[in-house]
Amino acid sequence: MNRKAFFIAGIVISLGLIVIMIYGLFFASNPNSIPSALIDKKAKPFTATTFFGQDINLKMFLGKPVVLNFWASWCVACRAEARILEAAHQQYTPKGAVFIGIAINDTTADSLRFIAKYNKTYLLAPDDQLGTISLDYGVTAVPETFFIDKQGFIRDKVLGSVHFTKIRDFLNEQLEISGN
Amino acid sequence: MQKNHLSKGLILFLGCLFIASVFLPKGLMADELEDQVRKIAHQLRCPTCQALSVKESEAGLAVNMKNTIRQMLIQGKSEDEILKFFEDRYGEWILRSPRKSGFNLLLWFLPGALILGACLVLLFYMKNRFKKSSREKPIPLSDQEKELVERKIREITRD
Repeated sequence: MNRKAFFIAGIVISLGLIVIMIYGLFFASNPNSIPSALIDKKAKPFTATTFFGQDINLKMFLGKPVVLNFWASWCVACRAEARILEAAHQQYTPKGAVFIGIAINDTTADSLRFIAKYNKTYLLAPDDQLGTISLDYGVTAVPETFFIDKQGFIRDKVLGSVHFTKIRDFLNEQLEISGN
Repeated sequence: MQKNHLSKGLILFLGCLFIASVFLPKGLMADELEDQVRKIAHQLRCPTCQALSVKESEAGLAVNMKNTIRQMLIQGKSEDEILKFFEDRYGEWILRSPRKSGFNLLLWFLPGALILGACLVLLFYMKNRFKKSSREKPIPLSDQEKELVERKIREITRD
């Protein structure tokens, strides 16, 4: 009887460990994405001065959906999304959205060259020397895009080049626009 | 003349002492500060190249993190406060060792507990077997077996 009980206990414990291992390997998290600790939390306030001297403060945009993008001129994936963000800005800023791009670990000269090359016209500002804004947003790499709703809460984050459909779906919902 | 030399030597000595008192402690403090920066940076995962700690990484964000740690230490923030600062922004994965609390306790202690449990089970099982075998009386040999053993002994002694 004792031997049987030990045997059953051993089987149950082993099966339990195998289930935990399978769950951890395949279902607990997506190895291609890094979870953000800031989703559904209030977006950290920040101030910055754009490359063209305009002071911006996140508080100014309360009541408007904000697409906050972190980028750098040396980042290859940022080139791919540069035109997407500009196109989305052209389409949605007149409807009430706000597009902000924060350049991190970049020189002003390189950033300005990048801005000119891709005809970027939305609010573009450098982060400070310590990278305060990017660290406050838990940025892991560039490009990284945060979607902040009208109430100032971070609703989503995209690591890597952002797709137009992602921006469109978020802003259509926030601005209560129907269709594509 | 000798008195003049003595006073010059004294002035030089005092000058050296003054210079040492001004610069040496700062140098030592800077070393201590850098040691603390390295110690904290070693506990944080580099967000860009996650196989490395912030201390080992030279990625732009890791460098920014090291500078932020340095500034927070100068501001008088404690190690725990600095680690919490990064954990609040990046989540617990930024810590290279998960905190020893809540569900994580399972992660820290389950392997040890399982090994200990397995050892206890094995010990218990072996003890039981030993007791059982010492309680059992030896099975007597049959007549046929006795005869066989005696025959073999005779063969061996004859040789």
